[in-house]
Amino acid sequence: MSRIRRLLRLRPKRAAQIASDVDEEIALHLDLRIEQLVRHGIPRETARAEALRRFGPLDEARRSLRHSARRREERIRMRETLEALMQDLRYAARGMRKQPGFAAAVVATLALGIGANATMFGIVDRLLLRPPAYLQSPDEAGRIYVARTFDGEESVSGNMPYRRYLDLRESTRSFAQTAAHFNTEMVFGVGDDARQARAGLVSASFWPFFGVRPALGRFFTEAEDAEPAGAPVAVLGYGQWQSRYGGDPGVLGKPIRIGGTDFTIIGVAPRGFSGLSLSAVAAFIPITAGGADLFGEMMSRRNREPWYRTYNLQWMEMIARRKPGVTAEAATADLTTALLRSLETQRAARPDRSGRSIADTRPRAIFASILRDRGPNAGQNAKVATWLAGVSALVLLIACANVANLLLARAVRRRREIAVRIALGVSRGRLLGQLLTESLLLAAAGAAAGVMLAHWGGGVLRALLLPDVEWAGAVSDARTLLFVGAAAALAGILTGLAPAVQLSNPSVAHTLKAGGREGSLRKSRLRTALLVLQGAISLMLLVGAGLFVRSLHNVRTLELGFDPERLLYVSYEARGTQLDSARREGLMDEMAERARALPTVEAVGFTRTVPFWMTWSDDVRAPGVDTTRLRDSYLMNAVSPEYFAAAGTRILRGRGIAAEDRAGAPLVAVLSDLAARSIWPNEEALGKCVKVGADTAPCRTVVGIAEDIRRSFDEGPARHVYMSSAQYADSRGLFVRTRGEARGHTETVRRELQRLMPGAAYVEARPVQELVDPEIRPWRLGATMFTIFGGLALLVAAVGLYSVISYGVAQRTHELGVRVALGARSGDVVRLVVGEGTRVALVGIVLGLGVALFAGRYVKPLLYSVSERDPATFAVVIVALLVVAVAASFIPALRASRVDPNVALRTD
Amino acid sequence: MGATGDQLPLVKGTLDALVLKALSWGPMHGFEITTWVEERSGGRLGVEDSALYHALNRMEERELIDAEWGVTENNRRARYYRMTAAGRAHLRAETARWVEYAEAVTGILTSPAQAG
Repeated sequence: MSRIRRLLRLRPKRAAQIASDVDEEIALHLDLRIEQLVRHGIPRETARAEALRRFGPLDEARRSLRHSARRREERIRMRETLEALMQDLRYAARGMRKQPGFAAAVVATLALGIGANATMFGIVDRLLLRPPAYLQSPDEAGRIYVARTFDGEESVSGNMPYRRYLDLRESTRSFAQTAAHFNTEMVFGVGDDARQARAGLVSASFWPFFGVRPALGRFFTEAEDAEPAGAPVAVLGYGQWQSRYGGDPGVLGKPIRIGGTDFTIIGVAPRGFSGLSLSAVAAFIPITAGGADLFGEMMSRRNREPWYRTYNLQWMEMIARRKPGVTAEAATADLTTALLRSLETQRAARPDRSGRSIADTRPRAIFASILRDRGPNAGQNAKVATWLAGVSALVLLIACANVANLLLARAVRRRREIAVRIALGVSRGRLLGQLLTESLLLAAAGAAAGVMLAHWGGGVLRALLLPDVEWAGAVSDARTLLFVGAAAALAGILTGLAPAVQLSNPSVAHTLKAGGREGSLRKSRLRTALLVLQGAISLMLLVGAGLFVRSLHNVRTLELGFDPERLLYVSYEARGTQLDSARREGLMDEMAERARALPTVEAVGFTRTVPFWMTWSDDVRAPGVDTTRLRDSYLMNAVSPEYFAAAGTRILRGRGIAAEDRAGAPLVAVLSDLAARSIWPNEEALGKCVKVGADTAPCRTVVGIAEDIRRSFDEGPARHVYMSSAQYADSRGLFVRTRGEARGHTETVRRELQRLMPGAAYVEARPVQELVDPEIRPWRLGATMFTIFGGLALLVAAVGLYSVISYGVAQRTHELGVRVALGARSGDVVRLVVGEGTRVALVGIVLGLGVALFAGRYVKPLLYSVSERDPATFAVVIVALLVVAVAASFIPALRASRVDPNVALRTD
Repeated sequence: MGATGDQLPLVKGTLDALVLKALSWGPMHGFEITTWVEERSGGRLGVEDSALYHALNRMEERELIDAEWGVTENNRRARYYRMTAAGRAHLRAETARWVEYAEAVTGILTSPAQAG
């Protein structure tokens, strides 16, 4: 068969066909041989035998010939397919070269869609999908949470006392392994070299959870992780080993100061290992050694039980691995039983004064995913990231819709060429293959560009949105690339199908006729549907953007009651340096004096708590006030007189804490406005008596009412009580108010005060804004991303609308010419075209509205002080979309109105 | 097997060349090729029939020949094989190689023998 005929062949041969062909060929050969022999005079029967003999063993031959024929057909078909593919690719590439603008538009659109998805996938993967590096059988492992119910509200916490961990470990039977861990910033090194870095405090049983071997040295053992203080051994993080020690193998045995203890380096963790922490860990130390360093002195100073026997310190987290065959539910039940037993032990040691029984608080343990963001305390970031992943999928959809529209338009332009090909006998399958190859090629180019975009943009996005997470790999790691490949394939197929569907049944005769015109009203329903879809998605995204922007604005303009951007919180860590209480007191005074002397500092106040970070609450009693009204807990602080000036908290009535409120002087308190109104709703609070802690506590006179402050965005203003630090308890740190933004002055202040430190003590200065920012981040993330995506979607949709209307106008030149010839004015034509565009947009808007209103309730928890059906936002977005639709239709409309009827009537 | 007693067995690899030479005279079906070779060699070369069809399959796969169903003079349906351009080139090359080989071997074997 000639090559050309082969190319146009309709169907590949099937096995049965091949077999019968082979049989026929053999049969003919034998017959002809027999006839030949008969012609030579041999009798027919002998001839037959002779023919069979000459042929060779017949059955075997038939079998092997069938086999070889089949193989031949397969190989030929494979080669043909490959050739067809190469041909298609060449054809597609040529097409792209001939219309570079079109190709560029398609590739750019897909690049944006795919790039956005690649970026979001990378982020979501890290937070929600990928288990910690090196963790064995992540499905069997999990984190343990404890849930208690207070005042009708359940709160779930992953932090527990060390003793609770020991209890749970003792009393459960469901786990093959259990371990304790705690990640925190600690001070590393001494003197000028001192810096803060992340320390991983882990139990010796932590290491077997992972399939790791040390890069150097060894990990610590159970013997080195025993109460009361473990052994001072440390395993360096790989990154730390490389950057601080230059990868020197001689690092083993060297000392390293962490917190207040000297540790000895016994090993180095493998590359990429950071335990369960998302950010890199500088060193791992035994949890007993870390616990002793953090809490040992504090607990002994207060003559309390040792840190490892108390139930009052909630700090560490527990992980466990289920035994094979144990379900998560069984593990949870086992844990809950163990928890109850532990709580009983706790109560026996120290009876509860609140009058509540254990059962009242409905304690339960939860065995949840090893990934923090999939457990009960999933961060806000994870939720927003998931939403954004969904959003970026929508953007890809829009991009695909747009590209499909463009390809459709192009295919329709080529309908004659395709009709000719079909008439010549090209199979529909082949045609479909060619169209798909084109779109897949474009998708591949878009994917490549998208990966580059994601690489660049992803870095920016990560820094902007999730700066505290350690991104071990590049944006484009294997999983992301796999995802991109899948996305590109999907995009290619989706966009290729549209023109293929359109062309599956062209009326061949019709299109081949010279002068065949497309009727004016026979608009492609598919393309209109795509436009409507784009419009709807754009609306949804822009509404999301609007809502998030408003939330962000609300959050940022919220009255916090103090000025975080001007404040530094300054404290110090003794780190083993022995200081008695008098010295400590004196040191704080010296620090305050020195700070006040700095030209950039406006005021310095003493404080014990910091909103958004450290709070301490207690009960409040007032004579003559019903205790049922005082069930809420009140935030406490012990402050110096200058505190209110430093923090920027105004005194509304009365006075703040003053110098005369010394030890021995009459006890005073300043209440926040809400606190005062809660206790005495209808009376003036000034002058009243308030008791902190219990009815037996001494009376403190209320001398002032301060402005309300907030300690988090989730709750309303806090009920706050301020006492004089001289009359209640030592302060822990200083609030330093700077002129201008505090962030810029952090290091200068810190260094100046560091000079006052005795021994290895370390001054910490932290801009308070840095404590507030992470809370704002989810809204900033949402606002930024939705705005970007929404803008993108709108741009793509506008371009799509423009191109479709343009194309429609070009097609209808003849019809428009007729209209003008019949007397239509240019204004009429413009109105006609713009009207069509607006109609499409309106349908899309209505559709999008419906979905947005319905899906609103899922977005609601992510917003701040704005309704998910906020009419202003919706109105603005709808108007914006209509304006864009009109604008996109206007230009082609103008062109249409300038059609010269003479030319138009003659065109084809 | 297949060849009669006094026929020479084919040297490996020559069947392809012979088939191509046959086809250089025009399209033929399998039996025609067999008889052509038998006649041309004066009956000295024997081609086992099933081996021929195997060879035809191989050559079709390698695109040295094309196959198409046609009709014989007696109106019987037969599969006709035709040489392709690649086949023609292959035939030329094989012919040259064979001639060179035969000359070389013949030259050595027919040179005056060493007195034993």
